[in-house]
Order: sequence, then C-alpha cells, then structure tokens
Amino acid sequence: MSAALEIDGLTVSFPSGKGIVQAVRSLNLTVAAGSVFGFLGPNGAGKTTTIHVLLGFQSPTSGSARVFGRTVSDTMARDRIGFLAENPDTYGFLTGRELLGFTGRLFRMEKGLISRRAGELFASLGLSSAADRRIASYSRGMKQRLCMAQSLINDPDLLILDEPTGGLDPIGRREVRRIITERRSAGKTVFFSSHELSEVELVSDRIGVLVAGRLVAEGTVDEVVGPAGNLERRFVQLVEEESGKGGAA
Amino acid sequence: MSRIWALACLAWIEMARRKDIYVLFLLVAALLAGIVSFDVFGLGGMSGYVKDSGLLAAWILGWILAVGTAVRQLTQEELRGTVFVLLSKPVSRLEVVLGKWLGSWLMVAAAVGCFYLVVSLAVVLKGGQLDWVCLAQAYFLHTLAMGLVVAIGIAFSTRLGGDAAATLTYAVTGAAFLILPRVPALLVEQQGVSGVVLQVLYYFLPHFELFDLRLRLIHGWGAAPWGVCGGVALYGAIWILVVLCLAWAGYRHRRFSRGNLL
Repeated sequence: MSAALEIDGLTVSFPSGKGIVQAVRSLNLTVAAGSVFGFLGPNGAGKTTTIHVLLGFQSPTSGSARVFGRTVSDTMARDRIGFLAENPDTYGFLTGRELLGFTGRLFRMEKGLISRRAGELFASLGLSSAADRRIASYSRGMKQRLCMAQSLINDPDLLILDEPTGGLDPIGRREVRRIITERRSAGKTVFFSSHELSEVELVSDRIGVLVAGRLVAEGTVDEVVGPAGNLERRFVQLVEEESGKGGAA
Repeated sequence: MSRIWALACLAWIEMARRKDIYVLFLLVAALLAGIVSFDVFGLGGMSGYVKDSGLLAAWILGWILAVGTAVRQLTQEELRGTVFVLLSKPVSRLEVVLGKWLGSWLMVAAAVGCFYLVVSLAVVLKGGQLDWVCLAQAYFLHTLAMGLVVAIGIAFSTRLGGDAAATLTYAVTGAAFLILPRVPALLVEQQGVSGVVLQVLYYFLPHFELFDLRLRLIHGWGAAPWGVCGGVALYGAIWILVVLCLAWAGYRHRRFSRGNLL
C-alpha cells in the first residue's frame, strides 16, 4: 500500500523565553493510504506542532515530511488535504453556504460541483436548515460541524484532524467517529491527534504515541498495548518512562 | 488568480457587512448636506467651496477607511484563528497577501467612488460645474494612492499587531502626504544631519501629493495631460508592487501563535 504521509527525521525547535524548545525530536513515521492513524500524546507532546509542519504553517528545523510524495512546503501538496483545527472558528460574517463556496473556490472546484458537494455535506451533517444563516448565529456544535464540512468540501484523500472531539458532547463525538469510519470505507486516509484514548482505540488502524516530542510507540492498538492490558495503562506507562528519561537526563 | 479573487471577495464581503463603512458614508452625506444647506458668510453660494470641502473629506475619509481596512485583514485572520484553516488550503502566502490587498483596495475604491458621486451631486445642486474628464482622472489617481496606502497597511500588519500597524501606517502616509511636498523649501534652511534626514525622507517615501488633483478640479484648470497622468499611475503601480513584495517577504516565513488556535 502506498504512503499518504511520510515523515523522516523531523525535528522542530523554536526559541522561547527559557531558551530553545525542541517540540518534535527526530520523528519518523509513515501512514499508509486508506488507513486511520491516531496520533496520541499528552498535552504539549508536539502533536499540533507536527500537524503544523504537515500543513506548511511551520518549517522543520531538520528532516522532511511528504504528503502523497509531495514535500509539505509545496502549496499543491495541500490540494488533497482536508484539515479541521482544534476549537475551530471561522468567518462569522459569512453564511454556511458562502463559507463552503469560498473554500471550494480555494480548491479551484467548479461552481456546480461546490454546490452539489455543499448540499451533500449540509445534509450529512444536519446543517441544511442553517445553510443560509450567518455563521455568527450558529451554536458551538453547529460551528464544529460546519468546520468539518469545510474540511471535507474537496473530498480530501487525507483528512487531518487536530483534537476533533475536544469539547464535544457524546453525540458530537459519535458524529466525528462516523465521519472517520466513512472516510476509511471510501478508501481515504485519516490522521488525527487526540488524547482521548477511548476514541482513538475505537477507530484507529494504527496509533503512534508522542511524548515530549519523541515517538515512543507505534503500531496497531494491540501491538502498542502489549502486556499492559489496556491502552490507558500503557499510555501512562509510556509517558512516565519518557518523563523519567527526561528527568534522568 | 481565482484564489486571489476568492480572497478578495472574502475581504469585500467582510467590509460590506460591517457597519463602520456606512457610518463614513453618512458622515460624508451629512457634511455635504450641511455645506449645501448653510450659507455661512455667503460662502455657500460658491461651488468651489463645496468642491474643496467635499474632496478634502473624500481624501480624509478614504485614507481612514484604507488604513482601517488594510491593517485588519491579516491580523483578524490570526486573532480568529482562521489563518490556520486558510493556509491549510492550497493557497500560497503570496496569494493571501495579494487577495487581501485586492479586496481592501476594491472596497476603498468603491467607497471613494461613492464619496466623489456625493460631492459631484452637491456641486451640481449648487449650480457649479465640473470638468468630468478631470474628475475621472482625480478619482483614478486617488484610488491608486489609496491602493498604496492599503499596501503599506498590509505590509506593516504582516509583522505587527493591528493597532501598531494602523498607527505606523497613519504616521508614514500622513507624513508623506503633509511633509514631503514642503521638504524642498525646508532644505533651504536645514543644514547637516537634519538636512540629510529630510533628503532621505524625500527620496524614500512615496509622494502622495502627485496623486492629488483637487486643485485642478476646484479652480477649473482642466484635465491633466494624459502623459503626466500615465506617469503618475506608473509611479503608483511601481510603489504598490514594491510594497506588496515587502509585505510578502514579511509574511512568507511568519510563524503564527498557537495560542490563537488552542
């Protein structure tokens, strides 16, 4: 199976008040096309920084990352990506339909295709009745669903979700899980970061655990859990081990 | 180009749906209604007075609108956190800068057009006459000057917060407009370092006074020679291009604060 995502020796460091912070350290990761990859880690582990590099927001200090063979600094690499940010906000002065129209135009989609795709997404996400209302009047959950629709307008081959279930109620979480599994059924790749272990366990084909910028485990859920018995116990174990190393160092 | 246009439309819609632009229109309309209605010291009978006050108001309000519109384009994207969603699309940072500039400029050009329309109407109502060719030239050069103000505002906002960028843009463009035309006269009196500083300012700041055809309109001197008009347009276009290149240089490696996203 071909790779949707290839990360080779990625290191990201940036200056902070206390000196240089190494947010990601020599990260090597390959995500196969058509799979769901859960990117786990405690707060501040470097998950969002890695995603920012994949989307070209941030340049790596060293190493490289490629999406479907294209280096991430190439603007066109993002042509096949959909992205949902954590706690997303959007243009409140637009209507939902205008937002999807605007996003579709950034992908150079035909007007008819944008309209058809927007209609499908509004129906699928239960936003049809609010499509022509200003986004400023949407509830938080509706905004989250609209931003999900925005990330899917181009029917992306790779969907990147940054903490997609953070702050959502159980119905919202189920909705996100449904979308992830639908994408997999359609042969698309999903790469999502989370620290919600149960969510990750439910939908991921493979998972990676990032602690203090270092990938400390990677494989299927069973492979990563191993003799620890459950993911939560194993996760805590990995975090403590890595923190111990940091403390010893 | 389609992405630049999409970004321009977004900037346009945002401005059109905000209320402050309508406040400026009301201000111009109220000002001119006052000028047309009152006859202070018999000045109200002079259409030149209407032209003078109206065109000055169009310049000042156009300037305020241009700076206000320009500096919020990139800074608001960052404050809202929408910059991350925007840049996750196949859009280059150059396209973002150009799209934001184009949208703001077109908005300001349309607003300035409305101001000119109101002024022209007031002049005609006062029984005055306007040289329509000169008016078209004045509008064209005025919008070019506003394009440059917008570009400067966007360039500052690539590295500064909204308020700081606005202050700096007002200071630079205001100084360029008010001080530069007086520099040759000042140089006669200024020697040494201050003279050198004035010369540097004179040659390295844009000359907005070149875009200002108000005196021609007010005193009925007729249209400017087309060659001169074209030369000034070229000067403006080059300045806009240079400033937009600087804006892109400032924006292309900009790191955004995660705090806005998280």
